[in-house]
Amino acid sequence: MAYVALSEAEKTYILHGVEDDFRCDGRSRRDYRPMELETGLVSNASGSARLRLANTDILVGVKTEIDVPNPLTPEFGKLEFFVDCSANATPEFEGRGGSDLAQELVLSLQNAYESPLAFDYRTLCLIPGQQCWKLYIDILILECGGNLHDAVSLAAKAALFNTKLPRVTATLLDAGITDLIISDNPYDCTRIGIETVPLLVTVCKIGDYCLVDPSAEEEVCSTVSVVVSVSMRNGEPFLSGTHLTGGGAMHRDTMRNCLQLGLSIGEHLNQLLTKMLKLEQERVGPKRPKTVGFLK
Amino acid sequence: MQTLREFTRKTKRGNILKIVREHYLRDDIGCGSDLCRQCFQNEVYQLTSQHEIRSTLFKCPHYLVLDTNVVLDQIDVLEEDVLRNVVVLSTVLNEVKHKSSSIYKRFNELIHDRTRNFYVFVNEHHKDTYADREPDETANDRNDRAIRLATKWYDNHLQASQSPKDLQRTGRAATRVILLTDDAGNRAKAEAEGILVSSAAEYVKSLEDFPLLVDKLSHKTFENEKKGLPQYPPHLSMKELLEGLRQKKLLQGAFQASRENYLEGSVNVEQFEKGILIQGRESLNRAVDGDLVAVELLPEEEWSAPSEIVLEEKNVYADEVPSEERAEDEKDMLKQVRAAATSAERTPTGRIVGIVRRKWRQYCGILQPSLIEDTNRHIFVPADRKIPRIRIETRQAAKLLNQRIIVTIDTWPRNSRYPHGHFVRSLGPLGDMATENEVILLEHDVPHCKFSDEVLSFLPQMPWTITEEDYAKRVDLRDLYICSVDPPGCTDIDDALHCRELPNGNLEVGVHIADVSHFIRPGNALDKEAGARGTTVYLVGKRIDMVPELLSSNLCSLVGGVERFAFSCVWEVDQEANVLGKRFHKSVIKSKRAMTYEEAQVIIDDSTQQNEIAKSLRNLNRLAKILKKRRMDNGALVLASPEIRFQVDSETHEPLEVEVKQMRETNSMVEEFMLLANITVAEHIATEFSECAVLRRHPRPPPTNFDPLVKAARYQGFQVDIESGLELSYSLDKCVKADNPYFNTMIRILTTRCMMQAVYFISGSLQKEEFFHYGLAAPIYTHFTSPIRRYSDIMVHRLLAASIGADSTYAQLLERKSNEELCHNLNYRHKMAQYAGRASVALNTHLFFRGKEEDEEGYVLFVRKNALQVLIPKYGLEGTLYLKSDKEGKDGLERTKSEIVFISMRRITPSDAATNVQHEKLIFRLVKPYIKGFSVETESDKTDAQPAATPPPPKKTKKDKKKK
Repeated sequence: MAYVALSEAEKTYILHGVEDDFRCDGRSRRDYRPMELETGLVSNASGSARLRLANTDILVGVKTEIDVPNPLTPEFGKLEFFVDCSANATPEFEGRGGSDLAQELVLSLQNAYESPLAFDYRTLCLIPGQQCWKLYIDILILECGGNLHDAVSLAAKAALFNTKLPRVTATLLDAGITDLIISDNPYDCTRIGIETVPLLVTVCKIGDYCLVDPSAEEEVCSTVSVVVSVSMRNGEPFLSGTHLTGGGAMHRDTMRNCLQLGLSIGEHLNQLLTKMLKLEQERVGPKRPKTVGFLK
Repeated sequence: MQTLREFTRKTKRGNILKIVREHYLRDDIGCGSDLCRQCFQNEVYQLTSQHEIRSTLFKCPHYLVLDTNVVLDQIDVLEEDVLRNVVVLSTVLNEVKHKSSSIYKRFNELIHDRTRNFYVFVNEHHKDTYADREPDETANDRNDRAIRLATKWYDNHLQASQSPKDLQRTGRAATRVILLTDDAGNRAKAEAEGILVSSAAEYVKSLEDFPLLVDKLSHKTFENEKKGLPQYPPHLSMKELLEGLRQKKLLQGAFQASRENYLEGSVNVEQFEKGILIQGRESLNRAVDGDLVAVELLPEEEWSAPSEIVLEEKNVYADEVPSEERAEDEKDMLKQVRAAATSAERTPTGRIVGIVRRKWRQYCGILQPSLIEDTNRHIFVPADRKIPRIRIETRQAAKLLNQRIIVTIDTWPRNSRYPHGHFVRSLGPLGDMATENEVILLEHDVPHCKFSDEVLSFLPQMPWTITEEDYAKRVDLRDLYICSVDPPGCTDIDDALHCRELPNGNLEVGVHIADVSHFIRPGNALDKEAGARGTTVYLVGKRIDMVPELLSSNLCSLVGGVERFAFSCVWEVDQEANVLGKRFHKSVIKSKRAMTYEEAQVIIDDSTQQNEIAKSLRNLNRLAKILKKRRMDNGALVLASPEIRFQVDSETHEPLEVEVKQMRETNSMVEEFMLLANITVAEHIATEFSECAVLRRHPRPPPTNFDPLVKAARYQGFQVDIESGLELSYSLDKCVKADNPYFNTMIRILTTRCMMQAVYFISGSLQKEEFFHYGLAAPIYTHFTSPIRRYSDIMVHRLLAASIGADSTYAQLLERKSNEELCHNLNYRHKMAQYAGRASVALNTHLFFRGKEEDEEGYVLFVRKNALQVLIPKYGLEGTLYLKSDKEGKDGLERTKSEIVFISMRRITPSDAATNVQHEKLIFRLVKPYIKGFSVETESDKTDAQPAATPPPPKKTKKDKKKK
């Protein structure tokens, strides 16, 4: 984890700010920093998104491939996460420096996406037991400004929303073997439903209080945080996984408060993200967008 | 400027990938017009105002933009030197490339012809004419839109360059751009966008100065054609076909029409050894010989057997609806099929449901005279009997009636009995030797154009002399008594022999082969041309050389009394023809004499001649006999084919006389030593170059191939053993009939037809056991002795020269892949050259019999259900004797049909008669044995009969009795 060196006085200052519900940058404990999101900017990928949350910068690309389903779950497609911590983000990531962090992020994402209720793996199935889509979600961390879990999950969800799978029709051969035919129209695609796709909300405990979207400095002050993954189902937020980070422990009541805070924040975040994605899609239309911010 | 093109692709492993390519758009692509003052242009303008074409449709000067369908369908119109100032869009060029590589090649030649003013405009990379694919737009629609966009841009661009003031001053109308398209949808859209547009047919018809160009238009639909009922079942769509093939419900294969029965054919499919039989017009479903088709296999109870009927299509006329005739044909077929259904010979039968790829080419043939005068619609009869008649439209029928013409097929709609096509060009008057030879060469894909200047530039400079350096490099054999023995009139002598006694009592025998590889250096244009031609093609009275004449008849040819370069293969042998030693080297020789087989024979037989040449010939002859005997004992086969020679008139090139080729001892003498040389060289290069030696093998035929031979021999009471070459050879020797001296030859002719084709191959591509040459019973073989007329020999020469250090190697020599490709080409050319040679003999036979009627003795080769395949040894002529010639004959024949099966290989005396000049067909009629109503009447028999006619053998009379 990127380490920010803080003096005791600075830490105390942050702690007091949290206690007063008035953080260093003027936010309350339930506030997020401003975000910038753009989708479909990597033309080589099937879907892509780039999210900038204050100083945290994430680029996600989704690649597709045809694979054979796991025999235990013949009707499920596959997802695979990969996180790359770019040495651009911080010099500590150089070499294998970022692999622990990357591992942690992959695990928490896998944990959140694991339940079929959180992600409908059936939509990725082409022919049960024979062929399915496998999505490679490649996440690149370009800058670390705290709250990586949230940023990564938001960007991943946006990239999935942007993913276009070529429309495939299957023909049945003898002996039950099937063959796939792809549509020759590059605009003829299927999309992935993202309604239930979970978001991660990091609830960070500083002093006696819990807050969301910690900045890098706040993360240093925190003894423990819980990453809450929130999946929406029929307009209701559900918990699809939790994950503790940091060295400390948590009291049962604090834990309950944290989860509740995470759920309510997650629900709100989800609504906003979905709304913004739809707005962007309407604005851009079906044709390949001219990228605006990044990678122009 | 840059944009991206995205598409999805399926990989071989079945993965689906999204592929994105960068696509650069430029602003410096010129429009190629000399009117333009804006574009950056090269000095050379392709579109000039000098070439104007007058059209009643568009009065102004104009440029043409072609749609892809126009290029694909009307390439023959484009090839005529009429249309100029044509803008070729890169979109169109790419589409043509994908759809048809042959048309693309022809089109490309047009584009590169500077005099034609075709300008390629790279619209796909021009910033103003690039069309990005819209959502919900098919690839085709996008291309159409790109074409319209470019046309529109051109028109606007040119108009901007032509100021009205200038036009007023010069009095010229503004140059416009016209889109030619045959796609109705595209045309409508273009009209809506304000583009000048026309269909190709309308435009060509509107040209005032070239009325005959209309003939070359491809016709998808004929005007005022009666909307007849569909005569064929519909073809499946491409999608259905591919799906069916993938699901293995349909089978894919090349369609082969039957030469004998136009209502029958077969499709070669991998799993089926004999291919799938297709019978009847509806099952054939518009497939033309060579097409790649999809077949549906019929259920087993509907399987049928090959009808063995010889059925030729009768004349039909363009305007007739030949329903009765057709019904009769079909009825006959059905009857046969039903009869066959009970027999055990049923083979997999299917019907064609769709065409995967057409293999239509251009066909030679003649126009059938039409019943109605002044009609434009005609029927074209192709020279190849496997090709159906083609319906064409022409305004010059009267001129073309007695000419050989070339026609191409455009389409074959469901409601037309025949495919639709159009006239391409005329080859010349019918029956003219030059025209007929041209037909043979075209039909057999023989490259026969003159050697290009580039090729000729690699010939040695004349006068050519042997330098001191050459002498130093080569072994000097000028003192030896070397002579050559060849057929009379041979000018490309590629082999010579010598034999001398050595002091130790042994003999030294040398075979000297023309050193062609000295003159043809690898990789140059001359070498490439020779490699592409592969072989010299011999037609009656005409030779199409593989190498230019300077080499073939002069510098390489080992003519008598002149110093020539040779590649020598020299053996030391003892008196019993056992090879004791061998060596190869390049040499300089001076042939003492070039003889014909006959001359050599005379010298050998004349014991008064005791000079060196005579002695050496006698020694060679003696050794050859020993060699031959040894070869026969090994199981080499003596095969026969009816070979004849024509005496050709030197002026008119018409055949004067026919003679069967005679085999003399000297033929066999030369042959033996050539075989020995070939085998020796083959062994040598195969050990030196185990991976890339060019060899020749003759695979052992599968036992089923021998069925007709074994059957035929059994009818005659002989047992033919086909277990091995040796046993076959022995049993063939035993097939002798005292009363019929030709019988053994007949059996051998039949055996020849059972054989497989011998092929060239690369040693690395096969196992050593497969190198075997079945016919010669040699474990390894190659061609070394005729480099003037075969390219394979040149390759062998190069390998051999490299192995003995006489010549340098080069990379290609040792490259297996390119050599394999070369071998494929050589095999194909070799086969085609053989067919062309045979076709030429057949043609000359026709010419020879024109207007003649003769009685000759013939033999039955095969028995078909309604015809006999007859061979006349005197002329080496094969023909068909139809049994059901009229109704009266039918009675007698129906009863004797079963008998006739047994007379396979018995003599029949047909009378030859050439009747229909237009179709040049030989007609065979039975003279003896006499069958009432079928044979020629006895009176005429008596008057026409030649004194040479032999008395009928006893068996025949027996049969006559039975009949009575």
